[in-house]
Order: sequence, then C-alpha cells, then structure tokens
Amino acid sequence: MSSQHAKAARRFLDNNEQAQWHNRTLWMVREKRDRLAMQLPEWEELRNLASQIKMHSLSHLDYYLSRFAARAEANGALVHWAKDADEHNAIVLNILNEHKVKKLVKSKSMLTEECHLNPFLEARGIEVVESDLGERILQLMQAAPSHIVMPAIHLKRQEVGKLFEEKLHTEKDNSDPGYLTHAARLHLRNEFLTADAAMTGANFGVAETGEVVVCTNEGNADMGTSFPPLHIVSMGIEKVIPDHQALSVYTRLLARSATGQPATTYTSHYRKPRPGSGMHIVLVDNGRSRTLGNEEHLQTLKCIRCGACMNTCPVYRRSGGYAYTYFIPGPIGINLGMLRSPDRYSGNVAACSLCYSCNLVCPVRIDLADQIYRWRQQLDSLGKADRVKKIVSAGMNYLFMRPSVYNQGLRLAPSVNHLPRFMIYNPLNAWGIGREFPVFAKESFTRMWEKGKVKKPQNKDAYEQ
Amino acid sequence: MSSKDEILANIRQHIRQTYDLPGIRPRGICYPDKIAQFIEVSRSVGGEAILLQEGEDINQRIRTLYPEARTIASNLPGISVQTLNPDEVETPAQLNGTDLGIVRGEIGVAENGCVWIPQNVKEKALYFIPEYLLILLDKTKIVNNMHEAYAQLQTCAYDFGVFLSGPSKTADIEQALVVGAHGAKGLRVILV
Repeated sequence: MSSQHAKAARRFLDNNEQAQWHNRTLWMVREKRDRLAMQLPEWEELRNLASQIKMHSLSHLDYYLSRFAARAEANGALVHWAKDADEHNAIVLNILNEHKVKKLVKSKSMLTEECHLNPFLEARGIEVVESDLGERILQLMQAAPSHIVMPAIHLKRQEVGKLFEEKLHTEKDNSDPGYLTHAARLHLRNEFLTADAAMTGANFGVAETGEVVVCTNEGNADMGTSFPPLHIVSMGIEKVIPDHQALSVYTRLLARSATGQPATTYTSHYRKPRPGSGMHIVLVDNGRSRTLGNEEHLQTLKCIRCGACMNTCPVYRRSGGYAYTYFIPGPIGINLGMLRSPDRYSGNVAACSLCYSCNLVCPVRIDLADQIYRWRQQLDSLGKADRVKKIVSAGMNYLFMRPSVYNQGLRLAPSVNHLPRFMIYNPLNAWGIGREFPVFAKESFTRMWEKGKVKKPQNKDAYEQ
Repeated sequence: MSSKDEILANIRQHIRQTYDLPGIRPRGICYPDKIAQFIEVSRSVGGEAILLQEGEDINQRIRTLYPEARTIASNLPGISVQTLNPDEVETPAQLNGTDLGIVRGEIGVAENGCVWIPQNVKEKALYFIPEYLLILLDKTKIVNNMHEAYAQLQTCAYDFGVFLSGPSKTADIEQALVVGAHGAKGLRVILV
C-alpha cells in the first residue's frame, strides 16, 4: 500500500550516503533560520503581521491588483493579464516576437516553471537561458528543480563537475565549487551581455508604487535586466501587497526563513523601465482566483516561497524533491499540487507525518499540516483512498467500537512476539518494512489495573520521579 | 470580456470573507550602537564596513584598499581615483571589465547590513557588473531596521533602487558558499 511518494523515496534512499547528506544539510539550513529568528525579539509578532497583511491583501485583491496595475502603467510599464498558463505563454511569445528576441535570459523562474514556458518558447525557436546557478545546472542537465530555493540541492559536486566539463569545457575532474561557480560566472556573463530580453519573476508587487521587488543572492535578476532593451516580469496575482510598510515586514522574514541570512544580497525595486527599454508585467491567475473561494486552502496563497517548510520537513529531507510528483515539493507543494489537480497529485498527501513543524516555521503562518490532513479526509470522496488502508481502517473501526473484542485481541497480542519473522516482516504488513516491531507486553494495562497491579502514587511528586 | 475583467470578476466572486489590515505599525529591533551593529553584520554577510577616520583622505584610503584596481568607475564628486565616468558610456556593456565601482548609498540598515541605493548613475549595471563594489555611506544615515528604512523611502523618488547586503553569492553547488556568483566578488562600505 505504498504511495507513489513512498516508492520514489525508496529510490532516493537507495543512495544512503547522499540521503543522509541531504537530510543533514537541510537541517543545517533550518538551524541557521532558527538562529536568525531568535535574534529578533519581535519574530513571532512579525509572522503574525505577515499573515494578517496577506489575508487582508488577498481579501481585497481586486482593489490592490487594479491599483498596482494602474500605478505600474503610470510608471511606464505595460501590464498584461493572463487567465491561465496558456494565455501567459502566448502573451510572452507575442512580446518576444514583437521585439524579434532570439535569446531570453531568465531568473526567478518558478511561475514560468508552473506555466511550462521554457519548452513552449524553445519549440518556437527562442533560446532560453536560466541564470540562477542551480537552475542553469539543471537546465544543462535537462532536469527539474528539486527545491524552490536550492534547486540543485540533490546533486553532488562531482555531477556538476562532469556536466561543466562537457558543456562549459572546464578542467577534467575539477569539481571544486569555487572553480565551477567561477566558470559559470564567465559563461553566464556572456549570456547576460548577448541576450535580447530578460525575464524575471517577482517576490512582491507593491500596489502603492506599482513597483516589482525581486530578491536574489547571486544578482542574476539584476545582471539579466541591466543590458537588454526588454524586461518581462511574470508575476502571480497573489504577490501584490499594499505598500512599503507591508514590504518591510516581508523583507525581514524572507531571507531569514529561507536560508538563515538577515537579508538577500540584492533586494531590487523595479519601478520604471530602463531608459530606452520596455518593461512588461504579466499578471497570472492560473487558478489563484478560484483558490480565493476555497476557505480550507485559501491560506496557500499567502506563501512567499521561502522554502522553510521543506527544510524543516522530516519527510522532505529524507526523500528529496523528486519523490513528489508536483514541481513544488514539500508541505507547500503537497497543497499547491492538490489545488492544481487532486487527480494527478494526490499521491503526495501521504508524504507527511503530521508533525506540524512546517506550521511552526512558516513566516506567513500557513496552516500547511492542517491542510494536508484535510486533503487526506477527502481522498475517499475523490476516489483516491488506498484500498488496503480502507480495509485496515474498517477493521480498526470494528475493533475500537467493541471493547470486549479489543481486549480479547490484546490478550492474544503477546503471541505475536513468538511468531517466526517471515509472518511479521512480509509484504502484506507495511508497518514491518524498514523497522522492527516493538515487543508486546505480556499483559495489557487494563488487565494489570483489574488485577490491582497498578499502584496509585502516594503523592504528587511520584509523577515527577 | 477582457482577461483583466474576467480575472477581477473571478476574484470578486470568490472572496468569501474580508480581513482588515492589522492596526499595529511594526517597530522592530533597535540597537544601542547602530554603527557597531552595521559593521558587525556586514562582516557576517561576507562584506566589510569601515569607518573613515577624521581627517583621513578618502582617495588615499581607496588606493590602499584596492591597489590592483585599474578600471575604476565612479561619478561621485570628490572621487579622484576614478578612471571611467559611468555616465559617459554609450551602452551598459561597456562597463564590463570594470575592476571597481564606487557608488553612494543613501540609507544603511543595522539589522542586516543592507545599503539602499536609488539609481543615480546612467546605467544600473554599475551596481552589479564591477568585480568589486565600494559604497560610500554617511554614517548618520544608518537606521535600525527595515521598517525605518522603508519609512524613509516614502519621500524618495527613484526609477530603480536596490538594497544591497554583502557581495554576490551562491551555495547552489552542495551548499558550499561561494562569493562572486554574478555580481561583485567583494563589497565594502566606507562610512564617512
């Protein structure tokens, strides 16, 4: 009764050393986040504010979005509206064709990943260059990101070294991260200088000023937009926030939550097009307005894409991004995937132990684990419940409703201790895979109580000993 | 119906409950010595902030800090070590190969080492393309946190602006931190 996720996770765990490294490294990022968060006495207050401002913005999204678009246009940008991925891609292609763009350099590409823009453009003869180092590595490998902030976290340096040897003609067997990053710097600098257009995502859109805010550590969005005469911003409609005061809350939370840095290296504010250049902003719905009406899952729209829920998730850390079928993995990805298509992505809801760690670190206080729990309750009505689990659940229901049968069962339980291994550890018993069963006690607590074997403590202190 | 109207109508149709903006104005952490905190956090993000001593010649100091810099781009008055006026380039690509860019920051932020730079050169590329970047910042313009910084931006007009904190960096290969991904390999702030 393994879920799709469990099967894929098994492949990840086959390389035990790499899996351990992945787990440890992401936990290290979580610890860095904790250290930075604890330096601010107002951290929890900030999280509350961040959540409340997003709830306000989302519940007045028509107002803020209109205001943002009007201000952006007054600043000289051209604003486009895309109902879905297809319309987004068509708009982008149209702009690129109008400007006779042959090469497009990209950064902050999660939304265009959602829209499958790259293959769409490539099929129409446009060269697309991802400029975030991790994303470029994956693009050269023709692979997808496995984390939204650290896209190549699943790779070892040797794999990158080998790739660069082939694609960028770096030295043989040199996999030093400093050397490889420098090689990528030279390679991508040439792309920045020769691209016909730049495309970026957006971390925030500020309604009051009509500006787009983009946060990176590498400076790839900044380099990308500094040279070509065209900048296209692709932005989800939920990214709009009211004003600078709101922005001050999010810029304090984002990098601390994402990588344990006090701020991203570059927090860039694009207000007007570069002189002599064009700036286009494509506002993308693609299901977001529908989610506004889904009270159980509305909060996913608060997400600022920091990835903290992935770094802390014990399941993500031990199964890797590729174990999930939706392109965004981890707790937020489980929920976003279900909103996209329960039919295609329901396998991911099993990838959660309901430990609630994600809820505790989320900078905008999304009820991630509660939502996953709710999706699970709906699996049966969606026709996605696991057959074996349903039978087991029905059995447990029967047992727990009948105390006498339950107690009789408990009396027999210790006999399991003496069963031959093959009867317990076999494919029919999922709970016996990858773990050892505990030894059943000879007597149940209820029996011991009945026989007077359980002594009441003499005083309160006994509890504490 | 245009896509814009359709999206906005969809939004209105789906909003179930409205929420007010929180009444509290965030204040944020304050430091007893903002300059000391700024210097410390700049180091922690891989940069460096130094105080110009009273009577010290800034051009002399820059020469000592960057003895190997050949192409130095700056449009700041009083900076005589510059070899290239960035306002005179015809294309931003001409700034490629700049060893050192010297620019002015308007606000420093003690909590995270950010320096606010509203674009005040012809091409914003100057902030990103030089091998090393040096920012001159008035030490009395350091504020405690981002709330204070953004409050000041209310009155500041800019076409493009960036909060810069430390040198360009990446950890995309095995989480090994490497400085100098695409932008400056080194970032210094001289507090004047």
